[in-house]
Amino acid sequence: MRLIRAVSAELSKCLTLPGGRAGIAVAMLGSIALTVLNAMTARRALASGQPELIASASPFETAFAAMPLGTVGAVVLGVIAIGSEYTPNSPDAGGGRQIGTTLTALPQRIGLLSAKAVAVVLLVVGIAAVTLPVSIGVARLIVGEFAVESVSVAEAVVRCLGGTLYWTLTGLMALAITTLTRSATVPLIVLIMNNSLVSFSLLLTNLTSLAHWLPDLAGRRLFTGIDTVDGGLDAVPGAWVMAAWTVALLLVAGAVLRRRDA
Amino acid sequence: MIDIEQLVKRHGARTVLDRVGFQAAPGRVTAFLGPNGAGKSSTLRILVGLDRADGGHALVAGRRYSELAAPLRTVGSMLDGSGAHRSRTARAHLAWVARSNGIGGHRIAEVLDRVGLTDHARARVGSYSLGMGQRLGLAAALLGEPEVLVLDEPVNGLDPEGIRWIRGLLRGHADAGGTVLLSSHLMSEVAGLADDIVMIAGGRIVASGPLDEVTSGYADLEDAFFALTDAEASR
Repeated sequence: MRLIRAVSAELSKCLTLPGGRAGIAVAMLGSIALTVLNAMTARRALASGQPELIASASPFETAFAAMPLGTVGAVVLGVIAIGSEYTPNSPDAGGGRQIGTTLTALPQRIGLLSAKAVAVVLLVVGIAAVTLPVSIGVARLIVGEFAVESVSVAEAVVRCLGGTLYWTLTGLMALAITTLTRSATVPLIVLIMNNSLVSFSLLLTNLTSLAHWLPDLAGRRLFTGIDTVDGGLDAVPGAWVMAAWTVALLLVAGAVLRRRDA
Repeated sequence: MIDIEQLVKRHGARTVLDRVGFQAAPGRVTAFLGPNGAGKSSTLRILVGLDRADGGHALVAGRRYSELAAPLRTVGSMLDGSGAHRSRTARAHLAWVARSNGIGGHRIAEVLDRVGLTDHARARVGSYSLGMGQRLGLAAALLGEPEVLVLDEPVNGLDPEGIRWIRGLLRGHADAGGTVLLSSHLMSEVAGLADDIVMIAGGRIVASGPLDEVTSGYADLEDAFFALTDAEASR
């Protein structure tokens, strides 16, 4: 009962912040918009008989190319969920931060972090449940008669679930890391860069193959399937490694939050 | 009822609170007075579970704050201005606070009206003035119809009309049997309101008791305050 109330409060918090809405918009509308662009490019290339211009004639692969945007959305939601607690108010309005209100409303800190984690999971899974089917449907519609679907229904379902798991774990790690930093800025920049522009983890693999055990690379095959960079862990052990990272980070975050003065 | 005993808080080698103890009784307004940095906020933050004590205890209604199942229904507090995120509206802020403690949604409009923010309920908190932020903080404190009110510098930023209004509100709360504990560094603002006085200086309680007892032998509360806190400072 207490957890349900806490989760409901956390969901309400996230949905009434511009940053939270932006995270959802990036993941949902961003992914769908990118899919429309990719699918139009694919259709043009296939219609003009130049399939070599595009990565795949499969609508599923075309839609899945937008997956990194969902990861960015999950990062934003995870970071905002706790980072917003520490945002200082404008000095004219007396300064102050929301964390005091949050902790007086929910003094059990582990319960609070759990509520935030559940809220992030619900939001990310909800986003995936809408975004993935819509993106794939849109890609099918646009590529239309030129499509050559190479991905079976069973494989598509597994990869959608894998992708959802990857987003979810990423969002939870963002939550845990931001709990430790108590500020949204640095985790937001580092995690978004790592997940979209430059993968620091991938660069690290050039130095040591141990980098394949880093959470983002370990979970990579959850949605990219098999045709990706060589080396690293398979999908299932990779998922376990990524999940272990997530649990470990959440445990550390919980232990620190519990002991720390607000 | 608030019961604080032997509270100790250290920041590194510095002792912020040195065996602080006092009580705040139902039906009375207790003013917690002291210069800035004397330990008022530290004490109140420990009382509502924001900070950890290194010794002693602070109880509300006989229990530690963290043991209260829906704390906002027992204790309403305001410690850090509005305590709201600047990008949220006042209404959205109160809505999540209400949900977190299972408080009915009808209370939101009631407390907004009570603190005079109804017309600004849909404005972002970042656009508020200091006084409006204080009023929102107070609205959140009143949301759960708590028996106990804990307010850190509640008259900060309020205009004379606002100060008059908050005095009436706190007096009414105590007269209805509630417990009110408020901190202040402004003697004149609390002199006409407080029933009991607790004075702190340098992390130690230097005087506590009914207003007339604490001020007896001095011209007024301000006089008593400086005599008692200066004595502590020169120790």
